Amino acid sequence: MTKFRTLWWLEYRRSRVWAAALLGSLVFWAWGLEQVPYAMPEERFGIRAGLLGAGAIVGVVVLAFMIGRVRSETRQGQYQILLLTPPSGYLHVLARFAFALSVGIVYAVAIGALLWWAAARAGLHLDPASAAQLLLVCPLYGAGIAMAPLLAWTLLLMVLASAYRISGTAWIPGTVMVAATPFILRFLGERLSYVLYTLPGWRLFANLEAVLAKAKVEGTSEALHAGIVLPQEPLWGMLALAVAMLVLAGRIWQEVEA
Amino acid sequence: MTEAFLIVVRILLLCLLGYWGFRLWGGTRSWTSRAVSGLCIVVLVWQVVGGRF
Repeated sequence: MTKFRTLWWLEYRRSRVWAAALLGSLVFWAWGLEQVPYAMPEERFGIRAGLLGAGAIVGVVVLAFMIGRVRSETRQGQYQILLLTPPSGYLHVLARFAFALSVGIVYAVAIGALLWWAAARAGLHLDPASAAQLLLVCPLYGAGIAMAPLLAWTLLLMVLASAYRISGTAWIPGTVMVAATPFILRFLGERLSYVLYTLPGWRLFANLEAVLAKAKVEGTSEALHAGIVLPQEPLWGMLALAVAMLVLAGRIWQEVEA
Repeated sequence: MTEAFLIVVRILLLCLLGYWGFRLWGGTRSWTSRAVSGLCIVVLVWQVVGGRF
Protein backbone atom coordinates (compact mmCIF):
# COMPACT_ATOMS: atom_id res chain seq x y z
CA MET A 1 0.00 0.00 0.00
CA THR A 2 2.87 2.35 0.82
CA LYS A 3 4.44 1.58 -2.55
CA PHE A 4 1.16 2.36 -4.30
CA ARG A 5 0.85 5.64 -2.41
CA THR A 6 4.39 6.57 -3.42
CA LEU A 7 3.63 5.81 -7.05
CA TRP A 8 0.35 7.73 -6.81
CA TRP A 9 2.31 10.72 -5.48
CA LEU A 10 4.74 10.26 -8.36
CA GLU A 11 1.86 10.33 -10.82
CA TYR A 12 0.47 13.43 -9.14
CA ARG A 13 3.83 15.19 -9.34
CA ARG A 14 4.33 14.21 -12.95
CA SER A 15 0.84 14.83 -14.30
CA ARG A 16 -0.60 17.57 -12.09
CA VAL A 17 -0.14 20.26 -14.73
CA TRP A 18 -2.01 18.13 -17.27
CA ALA A 19 -4.76 17.32 -14.75
CA ALA A 20 -5.11 20.95 -13.68
CA ALA A 21 -5.23 22.11 -17.31
CA LEU A 22 -7.87 19.50 -18.12
CA LEU A 23 -10.06 20.38 -15.15
CA GLY A 24 -9.46 24.08 -15.83
CA SER A 25 -10.71 23.60 -19.38
CA LEU A 26 -14.16 23.04 -17.85
CA VAL A 27 -14.29 26.81 -17.30
CA PHE A 28 -13.77 27.23 -21.04
CA TRP A 29 -16.60 24.81 -21.82
CA ALA A 30 -18.89 26.56 -19.31
CA TRP A 31 -18.04 29.87 -20.97
CA GLY A 32 -18.72 28.28 -24.37
CA LEU A 33 -22.16 27.14 -23.23
CA GLU A 34 -22.99 30.70 -22.26
CA GLN A 35 -22.04 31.93 -25.75
CA VAL A 36 -24.63 29.82 -27.55
CA PRO A 37 -26.78 32.36 -29.42
CA TYR A 38 -30.41 32.83 -28.61
CA ALA A 39 -32.64 30.30 -30.34
CA MET A 40 -35.41 27.90 -29.43
CA PRO A 41 -34.68 26.32 -26.01
CA GLU A 42 -34.57 22.84 -27.56
CA GLU A 43 -32.09 23.95 -30.20
CA ARG A 44 -29.98 25.72 -27.60
CA PHE A 45 -29.96 22.58 -25.47
CA GLY A 46 -28.98 20.50 -28.49
CA ILE A 47 -26.06 22.81 -29.32
CA ARG A 48 -24.95 22.82 -25.69
CA ALA A 49 -25.17 19.02 -25.47
CA GLY A 50 -23.07 18.82 -28.65
CA LEU A 51 -20.47 21.18 -27.16
CA LEU A 52 -20.29 19.06 -24.02
CA GLY A 53 -19.90 15.93 -26.16
CA ALA A 54 -16.96 17.60 -27.88
CA GLY A 55 -15.59 18.52 -24.44
CA ALA A 56 -15.83 14.89 -23.33
CA ILE A 57 -13.95 13.68 -26.43
CA VAL A 58 -11.23 16.31 -25.99
CA GLY A 59 -10.90 15.32 -22.33
CA VAL A 60 -10.40 11.64 -23.16
CA VAL A 61 -7.79 12.49 -25.81
CA VAL A 62 -5.88 14.73 -23.36
CA LEU A 63 -5.96 11.96 -20.75
CA ALA A 64 -4.65 9.48 -23.31
CA PHE A 65 -1.71 11.80 -24.04
CA MET A 66 -1.16 12.25 -20.32
CA ILE A 67 -1.03 8.53 -19.58
CA GLY A 68 1.04 7.73 -22.65
CA ARG A 69 4.19 9.60 -21.68
CA VAL A 70 6.19 6.51 -20.78
CA ARG A 71 9.29 6.40 -22.89
CA SER A 72 10.79 9.84 -22.26
CA GLU A 73 10.23 9.55 -18.52
CA THR A 74 11.81 6.15 -18.03
CA ARG A 75 15.03 7.13 -19.78
CA GLN A 76 15.55 10.86 -19.42
CA GLY A 77 12.85 11.82 -16.97
CA GLN A 78 13.18 13.35 -13.56
CA TYR A 79 11.92 10.20 -11.84
CA GLN A 80 13.81 7.54 -13.75
CA ILE A 81 15.46 6.10 -10.64
CA LEU A 82 12.11 5.69 -8.88
CA LEU A 83 10.56 4.26 -12.03
CA LEU A 84 13.17 1.54 -12.28
CA THR A 85 13.21 0.48 -8.62
CA PRO A 86 11.51 -2.28 -6.61
CA PRO A 87 7.71 -1.78 -7.00
CA SER A 88 6.42 -4.30 -9.51
CA GLY A 89 5.47 -3.38 -13.05
CA TYR A 90 1.84 -4.12 -12.25
CA LEU A 91 1.87 -1.51 -9.50
CA HIS A 92 3.47 1.10 -11.78
CA VAL A 93 0.83 0.50 -14.42
CA LEU A 94 -2.00 0.42 -11.89
CA ALA A 95 -0.95 3.71 -10.26
CA ARG A 96 -0.63 5.45 -13.60
CA PHE A 97 -3.98 4.13 -14.79
CA ALA A 98 -5.79 4.83 -11.50
CA PHE A 99 -4.58 8.46 -11.39
CA ALA A 100 -5.63 9.16 -14.99
CA LEU A 101 -8.98 7.42 -14.53
CA SER A 102 -9.67 9.37 -11.32
CA VAL A 103 -9.01 12.67 -13.10
CA GLY A 104 -11.19 11.47 -15.97
CA ILE A 105 -14.08 10.55 -13.68
CA VAL A 106 -13.97 13.96 -11.98
CA TYR A 107 -13.96 15.56 -15.43
CA ALA A 108 -16.87 13.39 -16.62
CA VAL A 109 -18.95 14.17 -13.52
CA ALA A 110 -18.32 17.88 -14.12
CA ILE A 111 -19.45 17.46 -17.75
CA GLY A 112 -22.60 15.75 -16.41
CA ALA A 113 -23.17 18.69 -14.06
CA LEU A 114 -22.86 21.14 -16.96
CA LEU A 115 -25.34 19.05 -18.95
CA TRP A 116 -27.73 19.13 -16.01
CA TRP A 117 -27.36 22.92 -15.88
CA ALA A 118 -27.99 23.18 -19.64
CA ALA A 119 -31.07 20.97 -19.31
CA ALA A 120 -32.41 23.15 -16.50
CA ARG A 121 -31.84 26.25 -18.63
CA ALA A 122 -33.88 24.57 -21.40
CA GLY A 123 -36.75 23.98 -18.98
CA LEU A 124 -36.02 20.28 -18.42
CA HIS A 125 -36.13 20.02 -14.64
CA LEU A 126 -35.04 16.54 -13.62
CA ASP A 127 -36.18 14.87 -10.41
CA PRO A 128 -33.46 13.98 -7.84
CA ALA A 129 -33.15 10.36 -9.04
CA SER A 130 -32.72 11.40 -12.67
CA ALA A 131 -30.28 14.16 -11.70
CA ALA A 132 -28.20 11.63 -9.74
CA GLN A 133 -28.23 9.34 -12.76
CA LEU A 134 -27.06 12.18 -15.00
CA LEU A 135 -24.36 13.21 -12.55
CA LEU A 136 -23.05 9.80 -11.50
CA VAL A 137 -24.40 6.84 -13.47
CA CYS A 138 -23.89 8.29 -16.96
CA PRO A 139 -20.31 9.53 -16.32
CA LEU A 140 -19.32 6.26 -14.63
CA TYR A 141 -20.88 4.22 -17.43
CA GLY A 142 -19.07 6.35 -20.01
CA ALA A 143 -15.81 6.00 -18.07
CA GLY A 144 -16.20 2.24 -17.94
CA ILE A 145 -17.22 1.74 -21.54
CA ALA A 146 -14.87 4.21 -23.27
CA MET A 147 -12.39 5.95 -21.02
CA ALA A 148 -10.98 2.95 -19.13
CA PRO A 149 -10.38 0.80 -22.26
CA LEU A 150 -8.85 3.72 -24.16
CA LEU A 151 -6.47 4.61 -21.32
CA ALA A 152 -5.50 0.96 -20.85
CA TRP A 153 -4.95 0.61 -24.61
CA THR A 154 -2.73 3.72 -24.68
CA LEU A 155 -0.72 2.41 -21.75
CA LEU A 156 -0.27 -1.00 -23.40
CA LEU A 157 0.72 0.67 -26.69
CA MET A 158 3.40 2.82 -25.09
CA VAL A 159 4.76 0.05 -22.86
CA LEU A 160 4.86 -2.32 -25.85
CA ALA A 161 6.73 0.26 -27.93
CA SER A 162 9.14 0.84 -25.02
CA ALA A 163 9.93 -2.89 -24.96
CA TYR A 164 11.55 -2.47 -28.38
CA ARG A 165 13.50 0.72 -27.71
CA ILE A 166 16.87 -1.06 -27.34
CA SER A 167 16.59 -2.59 -30.80
CA GLY A 168 15.43 0.75 -32.21
CA THR A 169 12.27 -0.70 -33.75
CA ALA A 170 9.67 0.86 -31.43
CA TRP A 171 7.71 2.23 -34.38
CA ILE A 172 6.95 -1.28 -35.71
CA PRO A 173 4.93 -2.58 -32.70
CA GLY A 174 3.23 0.81 -32.48
CA THR A 175 2.19 0.70 -36.14
CA VAL A 176 1.13 -2.94 -35.96
CA MET A 177 -0.96 -2.46 -32.82
CA VAL A 178 -2.66 0.71 -34.09
CA ALA A 179 -3.45 -1.03 -37.40
CA ALA A 180 -4.79 -4.21 -35.78
CA THR A 181 -6.91 -2.54 -33.10
CA PRO A 182 -9.94 -1.61 -35.31
CA PHE A 183 -10.22 -5.22 -36.51
CA ILE A 184 -9.97 -6.60 -32.97
CA LEU A 185 -12.55 -4.06 -31.80
CA ARG A 186 -14.91 -4.98 -34.63
CA PHE A 187 -14.54 -8.66 -33.76
CA LEU A 188 -15.27 -7.99 -30.08
CA GLY A 189 -18.11 -5.60 -30.92
CA GLU A 190 -19.84 -8.22 -33.04
CA ARG A 191 -19.51 -10.81 -30.24
CA LEU A 192 -20.86 -8.31 -27.72
CA SER A 193 -23.81 -7.42 -29.95
CA TYR A 194 -24.92 -11.08 -29.91
CA VAL A 195 -25.38 -11.01 -26.14
CA LEU A 196 -26.73 -7.47 -25.86
CA TYR A 197 -29.59 -7.18 -23.31
CA THR A 198 -29.17 -10.80 -22.19
CA LEU A 199 -28.80 -9.37 -18.71
CA PRO A 200 -31.43 -6.91 -17.51
CA GLY A 201 -30.67 -3.37 -18.66
CA TRP A 202 -30.44 -0.32 -16.40
CA ARG A 203 -33.39 2.00 -16.88
CA LEU A 204 -32.46 5.66 -16.55
CA PHE A 205 -34.56 8.83 -16.52
CA ALA A 206 -37.76 6.90 -15.83
CA ASN A 207 -39.91 10.02 -15.73
CA LEU A 208 -38.46 11.56 -18.86
CA GLU A 209 -41.89 11.60 -20.49
CA ALA A 210 -43.31 13.77 -17.71
CA VAL A 211 -40.31 16.09 -17.84
CA LEU A 212 -40.62 16.49 -21.62
CA ALA A 213 -44.38 17.05 -21.39
CA LYS A 214 -43.88 19.68 -18.68
CA ALA A 215 -41.30 21.46 -20.80
CA LYS A 216 -43.62 21.16 -23.83
CA VAL A 217 -40.88 19.62 -25.93
CA GLU A 218 -42.17 18.27 -29.22
CA GLY A 219 -40.63 16.13 -31.91
CA THR A 220 -38.72 13.73 -29.65
CA SER A 221 -38.68 10.04 -30.49
CA GLU A 222 -41.14 7.65 -28.89
CA ALA A 223 -38.27 5.55 -27.51
CA LEU A 224 -37.07 8.48 -25.41
CA HIS A 225 -40.42 8.85 -23.68
CA ALA A 226 -40.06 5.49 -21.95
CA GLY A 227 -36.65 6.47 -20.58
CA ILE A 228 -33.26 5.11 -21.61
CA VAL A 229 -32.23 1.50 -21.00
CA LEU A 230 -28.48 0.99 -20.78
CA PRO A 231 -27.22 -2.55 -21.54
CA GLN A 232 -24.86 -4.07 -18.96
CA GLU A 233 -22.90 -6.32 -21.30
CA PRO A 234 -20.79 -3.65 -23.08
CA LEU A 235 -19.73 -2.23 -19.70
CA TRP A 236 -18.57 -5.58 -18.31
CA GLY A 237 -16.99 -6.55 -21.64
CA MET A 238 -15.01 -3.32 -21.99
CA LEU A 239 -13.96 -3.37 -18.32
CA ALA A 240 -12.70 -6.95 -18.76
CA LEU A 241 -10.81 -5.83 -21.86
CA ALA A 242 -9.27 -2.92 -19.94
CA VAL A 243 -8.16 -5.23 -17.11
CA ALA A 244 -6.64 -7.67 -19.61
CA MET A 245 -4.69 -4.86 -21.31
CA LEU A 246 -3.47 -3.55 -17.94
CA VAL A 247 -2.27 -7.01 -16.92
CA LEU A 248 -0.39 -7.33 -20.22
CA ALA A 249 1.14 -3.85 -19.82
CA GLY A 250 2.19 -4.67 -16.26
CA ARG A 251 3.70 -7.97 -17.35
CA ILE A 252 5.69 -6.27 -20.14
CA TRP A 253 6.91 -3.58 -17.74
CA GLN A 254 7.97 -6.34 -15.36
CA GLU A 255 9.86 -8.23 -18.05
CA VAL A 256 11.54 -5.19 -19.60
CA GLU A 257 12.36 -2.98 -16.62
CA ALA A 258 12.94 -5.60 -13.92
CA MET B 1 -6.85 -6.67 -63.96
CA THR B 2 -8.17 -5.31 -60.67
CA GLU B 3 -8.15 -8.76 -59.11
CA ALA B 4 -4.57 -9.37 -60.20
CA PHE B 5 -3.57 -6.01 -58.77
CA LEU B 6 -5.23 -6.85 -55.44
CA ILE B 7 -3.46 -10.20 -55.32
CA VAL B 8 -0.11 -8.47 -55.83
CA VAL B 9 -0.96 -5.92 -53.11
CA ARG B 10 -1.90 -8.72 -50.74
CA ILE B 11 1.31 -10.61 -51.43
CA LEU B 12 3.35 -7.45 -50.81
CA LEU B 13 1.45 -6.78 -47.58
CA LEU B 14 2.08 -10.37 -46.43
CA CYS B 15 5.79 -9.93 -47.16
CA LEU B 16 5.83 -6.70 -45.15
CA LEU B 17 3.97 -8.31 -42.25
CA GLY B 18 6.30 -11.30 -42.35
CA TYR B 19 9.32 -9.00 -42.19
CA TRP B 20 7.78 -7.01 -39.33
CA GLY B 21 6.95 -10.25 -37.51
CA PHE B 22 10.59 -11.30 -37.82
CA ARG B 23 11.79 -7.93 -36.47
CA LEU B 24 9.26 -8.00 -33.65
CA TRP B 25 10.28 -11.50 -32.61
CA GLY B 26 13.96 -10.62 -32.35
CA GLY B 27 13.63 -7.00 -31.21
CA THR B 28 12.92 -7.70 -27.57
CA ARG B 29 13.56 -10.25 -24.84
CA SER B 30 10.05 -9.87 -23.40
CA TRP B 31 7.85 -12.87 -24.23
CA THR B 32 4.65 -10.97 -23.48
CA SER B 33 5.67 -8.28 -25.97
CA ARG B 34 6.28 -10.98 -28.55
CA ALA B 35 2.86 -12.47 -27.82
CA VAL B 36 1.03 -9.12 -28.11
CA SER B 37 2.90 -8.16 -31.27
CA GLY B 38 2.33 -11.64 -32.69
CA LEU B 39 -1.39 -11.40 -32.02
CA CYS B 40 -1.54 -8.07 -33.87
CA ILE B 41 0.44 -9.52 -36.80
CA VAL B 42 -1.88 -12.56 -36.94
CA VAL B 43 -4.95 -10.31 -36.97
CA LEU B 44 -3.50 -8.24 -39.82
CA VAL B 45 -2.53 -11.34 -41.80
CA TRP B 46 -6.03 -12.71 -41.25
CA GLN B 47 -7.47 -9.47 -42.61
CA VAL B 48 -5.14 -9.42 -45.62
CA VAL B 49 -5.86 -13.03 -46.53
CA GLY B 50 -9.57 -13.27 -45.83
CA GLY B 51 -10.66 -9.87 -44.62
CA ARG B 52 -13.57 -7.74 -45.74
CA PHE B 53 -11.73 -4.54 -46.51
